[in-house]
Amino acid sequence: MKIHTYEKLWLVASLVLIVGFIATITYGSVALGITMVGDEEPTIEPDEISDDERFGEPRVEQVGENEYEAYVIAQTFIFQPETIEVPADSEVTFYVTSRDVIHSFSVVGTNTNTMVIPGEISTLTVEFDEPDEYGIVCNEYCGDFHHTMEGQLHVVPEDEFDMTELAVEADDEVEIDDDATFEVAVENRQLEALETTVALEIGDETLEEDVTVDSQMTEETTFTVDSADLGEGDHDWTVTVDDYEESGTLTVAEDLEDEDGNEDGDEGDGGDDGDNETDEEGDTDE
Amino acid sequence: MSNTFVDAYPKQARIIRQAFLTSFIALAIGAFFGLIQALHRTNILRAIESPTYYTVLTGHGVFLVITFTIFFLVGVYQWAVTESLERGPVDMRFTWGWYGLMLTGTMLAAFAILAGFTDAIDVSADVLFTFYAPLQGHPIFYIGLVVFVVGTWLAGADWFRTWLAWKGENPGKRIPLPTFMVLTTMIMWYISSIGVAVAILAFILPWSIGIVESINPTLTRTLFWYFGHPVVYFWLLPAYLMWYILLPKLSGGRLFSDPLARVVFILFILLSTPVGIHHQYLDPGIAEGFKYIAMTNTMFLLLPSLLTAFTVVASMEHGARQRGGKGYFGWLKALPWREPAFTGMALAGMVFAFGGFTGIVNAGMNINYLVHNSLWVPGHIHTQVGTAVALTFMAGSYWLIPQLTGNRLVGRGIALFQVVLWFVGIVIMTNAMYRGGLIGMPRRTAEPEYEGFNYEVAAGSVGELNAQVALGGTLLFVSTMIFLALMILTLFNGESEPIDNRTIPAPLSGPEDSPPVLDNLKLWVAIAAVLVVLAYVIPLASIVSRGGLFGPDIGPFPVFVEPVSLLIETVLVSIGW
Ligand code: HEM
Ligand SMILES: [Cu+2]
Ligand SMILES: [Cu+2]
Repeated sequence: MKIHTYEKLWLVASLVLIVGFIATITYGSVALGITMVGDEEPTIEPDEISDDERFGEPRVEQVGENEYEAYVIAQTFIFQPETIEVPADSEVTFYVTSRDVIHSFSVVGTNTNTMVIPGEISTLTVEFDEPDEYGIVCNEYCGDFHHTMEGQLHVVPEDEFDMTELAVEADDEVEIDDDATFEVAVENRQLEALETTVALEIGDETLEEDVTVDSQMTEETTFTVDSADLGEGDHDWTVTVDDYEESGTLTVAEDLEDEDGNEDGDEGDGGDDGDNETDEEGDTDE
Repeated sequence: MSNTFVDAYPKQARIIRQAFLTSFIALAIGAFFGLIQALHRTNILRAIESPTYYTVLTGHGVFLVITFTIFFLVGVYQWAVTESLERGPVDMRFTWGWYGLMLTGTMLAAFAILAGFTDAIDVSADVLFTFYAPLQGHPIFYIGLVVFVVGTWLAGADWFRTWLAWKGENPGKRIPLPTFMVLTTMIMWYISSIGVAVAILAFILPWSIGIVESINPTLTRTLFWYFGHPVVYFWLLPAYLMWYILLPKLSGGRLFSDPLARVVFILFILLSTPVGIHHQYLDPGIAEGFKYIAMTNTMFLLLPSLLTAFTVVASMEHGARQRGGKGYFGWLKALPWREPAFTGMALAGMVFAFGGFTGIVNAGMNINYLVHNSLWVPGHIHTQVGTAVALTFMAGSYWLIPQLTGNRLVGRGIALFQVVLWFVGIVIMTNAMYRGGLIGMPRRTAEPEYEGFNYEVAAGSVGELNAQVALGGTLLFVSTMIFLALMILTLFNGESEPIDNRTIPAPLSGPEDSPPVLDNLKLWVAIAAVLVVLAYVIPLASIVSRGGLFGPDIGPFPVFVEPVSLLIETVLVSIGW
């Protein structure tokens, strides 16, 4: 076959270029450790996601000193959790799966980007050095409101990050001279023990107690307030632990119609609702 | 005495004109849809509701990259086979038969898509041209696609049959280059379109009709991309054919090397298919090793395009020197820049070279994270199929349509303006798309500005990017309309004769300079089959063993339910959480 000299030169140059590209990409994989989303995770039945240990409750978990795992569900047209919060200077592995169609999980302006296919779990390990806020979008068409599918990723300064949850169960009303009780539960989902102070403010009084909550544990503290000291009427109270705060109102009355009975049940509910909200508050007050 | 194609082959000219007509109607609708998208995404003009955007986008994809490109392909290929074998098909009824099938398929798919605009008909297929399950369109959509593909298979069979008949009459002769290109393209097409046929016939269609309950989304997606990369070469190879066959002639010279052209097309048979997984770099459930193999194969697939760049430029230089061009770069001035067919193709080639480099970014496995499914990708699409192919087709039409009608081209000067306008429009629109992609703007999104965050634009602003997409898109639309107007005027310009002579000069280095083994098509098919098996058998087996042939229990997700009911569902789901 007759090949012109220039053709030969071009051919050789082309091959060198191609090998160069392959070498560059290989360098990225091997030396820089940019691995591809792969098949390491087992499959998962989309309709069993809710019973799954990881995806049943989409969340962030701490798994090592600076290591976290985030379990995320993509579904038409939301991400769960909608806001993912992780500390700076950490290594986070995202596990993402879909409840219905194909989506993506894409952190805007970064190379954290993966397809999310029902039946499969995508994993991506990302290092976050600096605090920042990112948008998350679904960049695979998933239905007619695809363009509304978004979430947030907050990388917060290390010292502002915790995985504390606060819940308070308190009496709504007590008869004067009875004790009002505040049961405060502090949960610590971090690996390190949490040393902190629980404080209750009510009327002019402030009660404080130092607690140490071990990793993955919940520590309960009970405050008891003599309602006679407060006097008759409505009293606002606030329980604080670090950045978290929960508040309510206690009514001290002369006479209560039905004293015991279903009171407790009601109070329980109030406490639980508040609990969910407190978790969010901690995020926003930076 | 006029010497045009239509004088020599009136019957064949007729069917080619018919194919071009179908192709141009698709182009008209597709371009209009493109304009709507360019204005909607950028929030310059929202004439439709955002959910309808996806009906438009499905139409844009299907009409442009399926109908426009492939009908044009069969037209050009029919021309190339007839002209280079100097004979018509064995039986013209068969030829009309495949054209009829392709048309029927198109009409069915188009009906399913366009019905999405109205609630009056309970049919729609807002699944985009990739139709990833479990998104589900109406069965008519899938049936239409299959019928269309079968039509193209028969077209290929027709050309093979014509070639065999010619071979009987011309024993021992080398396959003429244009026919060689047609046959090799079709071999590539047969090997690759099996993937989409299996995806639809074995899985998606039965599932959309309700015969089977569930589907393995990774499997159908992988089968789609098994076909989805070679299909881009199916769009591109007719443009290559025109660059190899017409462009040297238009430059005033002749093709530099026939053997090299053959090698290039053989490389496409071998390498186009075992690379499809490069569209799935970010898919879970596919091992990294398979992605790495796809990456290396993809990089080697650059070779035929780099060789083409050489041959095309060398042929142009030869032509320019024939026309009296001198100097190192001075010969460029001697090229026929006033000729719209030439200028259009030359500009298309330039855009293609640039777009090729953006394609290397996509192909770079780990760099792909940065751009995958961002607006960068439509940037790439529009430089490649949207310009390298589309502009070459338009430019080529300025030469071909007079050959097929016997009429002189109307408005040469305007035609020149049209191709330049396209170039300007594409540079503006894709520049903004590439940049938008790099800041993380997603593609396939009706409203790419979100509530919870703003894009961080290093230089410029989102507003400026939007303005460029809208402006570029508008110029492209105007350019398309000018092209179509000139085509219609030429069609009715009966009282005239074309200027150009249809003879194509022989290459500088002819087929006799290449070993006959290049024409041994069976050999290349066998090697291609081995490569495909190597690249795909293990990944497919692993996908099936993970997710099952018919997948886990994933319910269908019809996109033909009404937007409102879906909205309510979404709200309910969000409240539930
Ligand atoms: C008339 C000029 C055109 C305009 C204004 C235009 C505009 C657009 C825009 C804005 C998008 C992005 C949509 C999105 O991702 O949200 C798009 C996508 C696309 N365009 Fe065009 N386009 C034009 C011509 C073409 C041509 C000639 C072709 C091919 C022959 C083409 C093929 C495509 C494809 C394949 C997509 C991706 C579709 C998808 O993501 O499903 N376009 N176009
Ligand atoms: Cu989406
Ligand atoms: Cu590809």
